[in-house]
Amino acid sequence: MPGSCPRLASTSEIGGDFALIDHYGRPVTKADYAGRYMLLFFGFTHCRVVCPRALGRISEALDLLGTSACLIQPLYVSVDPARDTPAVMKAFLCERFPRFVGLTGTEEATTAAKSAFRVFAQRRDDADDADGYAMPHTALTYLLDPDGAFVTHFPDTIDAPGLAARLRDILDMSR
Amino acid sequence: MRLAERQQGGDSALELKPLSQDVDAIRARSEAPSLDVVQAGSLRRILELSERLPDDWSGMLGPTTLQEDFGALRFQLAYMAYVLALTHAHRLPAAPVVFQKPFDNFIQKILSPDVWTYWHYVSTGRGPFNKSLGELPAQWNPVEVDNIMYSAYVQSMALMYHYLFRDPKYARPGALSFSIKPLFWGEGGKLFLYDETSLNDHIYWNMVERGYLGIACEPNCIFQVCNQIPIIGFRFHDLVYGGNLAREVTDGYLAAWSEFGILNEMGHYNMMIQERERTLITPDQAPWADFWMAALMHAWNPDFVREHYPKQMAAWRMDGPDGTLTIRPVRSIAPNRPELISARDFGWAAVCASEVGDEETLARMLRYADSMLQPTWERGSYYYPRQDEPVNASGMPITMDPHTGNVLLAYARLNVPGGLAKLYDGVWNDEHFAEPAVVGMSSGIDVRQAWFDNATGMLSLAFAPRDQRALAAEFEIGRFWGRGTWTILLDDVAVASGDPGTVLSSTGGIAVRREDERLVIALPLNGLTSVLVVWDRSDAR
Repeated sequence: MPGSCPRLASTSEIGGDFALIDHYGRPVTKADYAGRYMLLFFGFTHCRVVCPRALGRISEALDLLGTSACLIQPLYVSVDPARDTPAVMKAFLCERFPRFVGLTGTEEATTAAKSAFRVFAQRRDDADDADGYAMPHTALTYLLDPDGAFVTHFPDTIDAPGLAARLRDILDMSR
Repeated sequence: MRLAERQQGGDSALELKPLSQDVDAIRARSEAPSLDVVQAGSLRRILELSERLPDDWSGMLGPTTLQEDFGALRFQLAYMAYVLALTHAHRLPAAPVVFQKPFDNFIQKILSPDVWTYWHYVSTGRGPFNKSLGELPAQWNPVEVDNIMYSAYVQSMALMYHYLFRDPKYARPGALSFSIKPLFWGEGGKLFLYDETSLNDHIYWNMVERGYLGIACEPNCIFQVCNQIPIIGFRFHDLVYGGNLAREVTDGYLAAWSEFGILNEMGHYNMMIQERERTLITPDQAPWADFWMAALMHAWNPDFVREHYPKQMAAWRMDGPDGTLTIRPVRSIAPNRPELISARDFGWAAVCASEVGDEETLARMLRYADSMLQPTWERGSYYYPRQDEPVNASGMPITMDPHTGNVLLAYARLNVPGGLAKLYDGVWNDEHFAEPAVVGMSSGIDVRQAWFDNATGMLSLAFAPRDQRALAAEFEIGRFWGRGTWTILLDDVAVASGDPGTVLSSTGGIAVRREDERLVIALPLNGLTSVLVVWDRSDAR
C-alpha cells in the first residue's frame, strides 16, 4: 500500500555491460567502475535544456552527500556520438560538470548501451541548433550498484535534495 | 421525530434499545446513493456475464472474426471490470461481495487464449498501417512486444483489483500466466508467466524506450486511446505500491505528443502514429476516437478534455425522435470491410458524457437507447442485443454490438460525473477498509444500496430479489463489532439491536446472529427492502 517501497523494475531487464570510450579516449566497460556505485545519465552535449538541468541536479545532489559522494561515479553517456567525440565531451564536462566522466563510442556501441538501459533517443530537425538537429532523449538517471547491477532509477522531476536523500538511504542500507 | 419502535409478534420477548439519533435527520444527511431498477439490471447483465463458464462467450460475439475490432472480447471484459470498479467505488462501496469475485472472474477470462491468440496472426503485420515493416515473425507471447491493446488491460485490471479489494492475488509470481495447451499440435503448448508488478515493469520500460509516445497496438500503430490504459494501470500501481510512475509517464506523454498534437487542427483527437514513419493517421469520420479518448484521458487530464468536449459532441450529435439524441452514422474505418458498422460511436459518446458530467446529453442518449435499440430484460439483466441492421425505416441508426449493448451503455448508466477521474485520484484509504460492509450474501439477490456513512454511523443497505421472486435471504456484514450499541431497521422499523459484542434482541421475522467477526442477518425478501444499521454514537461520547 502507499508508502511501501516501489518495485520499479525487474533488475534482469535493465542494464547490462557496455563497451565505450571515456572522455580521456580510453576504452572502458562497466567493470572499470566496479567497486563504486554508478550513476548514469544519457544525453548529448548540444542539449540546451534537459541535460544541463539534469547534470546540474546530479552534481548538486552529490555535493549534498559530502564525502559519501566518493562512493558514486557519475557517468554521462552520449546518444549523439557523431558530434560527441571524447574531446568534445571532456571540454563540456570539465568546464561545467567536473564530477562526471563522459562516455561515447561508435554508433553501434552507443546504440547497444541505449538498448541495454531502454533509453529512447531520436534525431529530430532543430532550426535553433547550429548543426540543424537535436536528439530528444530519455531523461532518467540510472543507479547501478558496485557490482554493476541495476538498483533503481530516478525521474527527471526529482530535485537535488530529493535525489541526495534517496542516494543516502541506498548507501546507508548497503553499509 | 424519534423513531417509534414496533414490536412484531412471533419472536421472543424483546427489548429494543431506543435510538438516540433522529433517523429522518440521519437519512437526509447521509445521501446514500442507490441503484434504480435499470441500473441494477445493467449491473446484473455484467455480473451474469462474469459467471459464465470459462470460454462461454455467448452474447458477446460481434460480426468480426479473430478478435480484431474495437468490441473484441478483451475490450468487453476489461470495461466490464472497469464498470464494476466505478459502481463499487461510487455507488455501492459497502458491498465488496457484489464485485470482488466477478472482477476476478474477468481477469481470469481475459487470460484465456480465446482472448489473446489473435496476436499470433496480428503480430505478423502487413496490415494497412504497417506494410512498410514487411512480414514480421509471428509472436505467441501477447505482452512481450507491442499489443498494448491487450497487455495494458491485463495490467490495469490486476492492479485495479489489488487496489479495490486489497487482495495481492496477482502479485504472486506467475499469477498472470498466458498459457495455451493445444491437444494436437505445439509440443506442449506455450506458457508465459508474469505477475502484476513484472507486467507493469515490462510495460513501463517499453513506454520509456519509446520516449513516452506510447506502445504500439498492431506493429507500427501507436494509438492514443490504447495508451491511456497503461497510464491508468501505472496509477493503480502507484496507489498500491507507492511511487509516481503515472505522473512521470503523463508528463512524458504530453511532451512526446506535443510534436504531433493530441488534437488535430479541427479539434478532434488524433487517432494514431505510424511508429516507423512517425506520421499521424486520423480518419476524418471517427466519433469514437474523440469520445473514447476523452472518456479515458479525463482520468488524468480533465481540464483539457472538458475544454474540447463541447465542440466534439456538437460535431457528431444528431437529434432523435421525442427529444432523444444519437450520434450521426459515419463510414466504417475498416478499409477492407466497409460494411462493418457498430454502435460504438454512440456507446463511447454516452460513456464520455457520463464522465465529463454532461447529464442532459447522457439522459437524452439513454432515452434513445431505451426507445430505439431493443432494450431487453432477461432474468433480471438489462441489455441491448446485437443488431446488424444499420438504420430503421425512418433512417435512424439502430445498430447494436455486444460491446455497446453489454458494456458501454451500462458504463454510462452506472458511472458518476468524473467517476474515472475520482477513481484515478484514489477513492479509498485505510478507513474504508475498516468500515462495515456486506462481505457475504446468499444467491438470487440484487444489492441496490450499500453505503456506510462514518459521520452518522449508519450503514444503509437495500436489497431486492432478482426476478421479483420472494426468497429467503441471508447477508453477512463484516467489520461489524466493537462500534458501540446498534439497532437494525427493516424498512424503517427497528427489528434488532445489540451491544458492541452481542446480539441482544431481534423481531419482525428476521434472525440475527454473530458469527466470528461478522453479523449474519436472515430474512424473507419479498421486494425492495431497506436494511439500516445505526450505531449509537452517544455511546462513544
